[in-house]
Amino acid sequence: MSEHPAGVPRRAAAPADVDLERVWTAVAAVVWRREPGWLERLAGRLLRSPGLARALLTTPSLLIPWLIATAVVLGAGSIATVSTGEPLVALVAPVVAAAGIAYAYGPGIDPAWELSCSMAVSERMVLLVRALAVFGLNAVLGLAASAASGAVAAAAFGWLVPMTAVCALALAAATLARSANVGVAAGLGGWVIAVLSGQAADGRISAAFTEPALVLPYLAFTACCCAIVLAATRVRRGTP
Amino acid sequence: MNVEITDLTRRFGRNQAVAGVSLRAGPGVFGLLGPNGAGKTSLLRMMATVIQPSSGELRLLGRDPGAYGQRKQIRRRLGYLPQNLGYYPAFTVVEFVEYFALLKEMPPAQVPGAVAAAVEKVGLGDRARAKLRTLSGGMLRRVGIAQAIVNEPELLLLDEPTAGLDPEQRVAFRSLMRDLGQRATVVVSTHLVEDVGAACAQVALMNQGKIVFHGTPQELTARADGTAAAGDAPLERGYSAVLAQARS
Repeated sequence: MSEHPAGVPRRAAAPADVDLERVWTAVAAVVWRREPGWLERLAGRLLRSPGLARALLTTPSLLIPWLIATAVVLGAGSIATVSTGEPLVALVAPVVAAAGIAYAYGPGIDPAWELSCSMAVSERMVLLVRALAVFGLNAVLGLAASAASGAVAAAAFGWLVPMTAVCALALAAATLARSANVGVAAGLGGWVIAVLSGQAADGRISAAFTEPALVLPYLAFTACCCAIVLAATRVRRGTP
Repeated sequence: MNVEITDLTRRFGRNQAVAGVSLRAGPGVFGLLGPNGAGKTSLLRMMATVIQPSSGELRLLGRDPGAYGQRKQIRRRLGYLPQNLGYYPAFTVVEFVEYFALLKEMPPAQVPGAVAAAVEKVGLGDRARAKLRTLSGGMLRRVGIAQAIVNEPELLLLDEPTAGLDPEQRVAFRSLMRDLGQRATVVVSTHLVEDVGAACAQVALMNQGKIVFHGTPQELTARADGTAAAGDAPLERGYSAVLAQARS
């Protein structure tokens, strides 16, 4: 199957003791070599796996267009919070993060999913690293938007715990259903129910993320969802 | 033996895709023939450790893919070309092959050389820096083959590898398969009996999840003797004769 580019006869003038095939391959290896960027090198060192670092940088919901969309949504929320006084960043941030998590990895989301499932770097590890990176980045962007909106401390940080629960729900649903859209729907639905329930019980729309009594239930719910994800991604024998 | 399969089954809901397959294969090119829905792809996906068997025993390269550590060792020495190759349109040929070399946990220092060798082997040297979205279907197939062989696998699983290749490329690919089969076990699932006749030392024919023939291409050809089996070539007639017998 090997053909020399432009039909140049490769062996025509080669001395008998020179393997031009090997020489050409060695040259090609140098010429085609890709230099990883600083972010990939850093991720590779932190994760102790260049493959995992590369897999992290191919996360669909960490690509530039997705990040721009996230920043625009949170920026708009921040402006709306300043102008209306309603805690819109806190209401929007968990759902935006949940969507990012659901679209981090899975069949239909990652084009090379089938191939990835036969690789030495396990799909569970890729899922974990991508989900954590998406969560971390969304938390940072959300905190920046909260700070920019001048929200009081409870509203500025209170949504982090509910966001964790909503993200875990989206991840569990997406993993079980093997569908990012199901994950997004579950995250959005769960958060809407939580906010409306809090408003019905307390009279404030911010009750879902400012009520300290809800922290433990959120964390317990997060733990349950993580257990579901771990169970769903373990390798087992038997009919799925 | 690099592949040892005993009574392997795989169910998808009520459908039994693979129904008690037993198979052993050592180094060489092994052809897997069969009509659509025969269970070839499901069998190959189990061998690629992408899906787990419902029951039965599977050992690859002397290891159990059901155990985490052993599965990882198998995957480092495995090459797999799925029927539908998913790809990242913005990646170049080299970036795509390199990505899977890294995911196979090849030592990073060896990766550039291995990538260059794999890309050259499939004849894509002149398109090495082309974006995948600019390539034809046949070229993408060759990119898929390049990522499968980049780690010089001991077990190479190819699902319809010649689909989309032109006749000249198919001839070259058969030669590559024969070359790879000198030291590795190459399992090729295909509809094209001429690929099997030209490249495979052993062949199995699947029908409705079961293996209905296992032997050499010559033995498969001989199964048509004395029958009125349809086909344009001797191997095709043997294929048709075995299938007709299995269905009767």
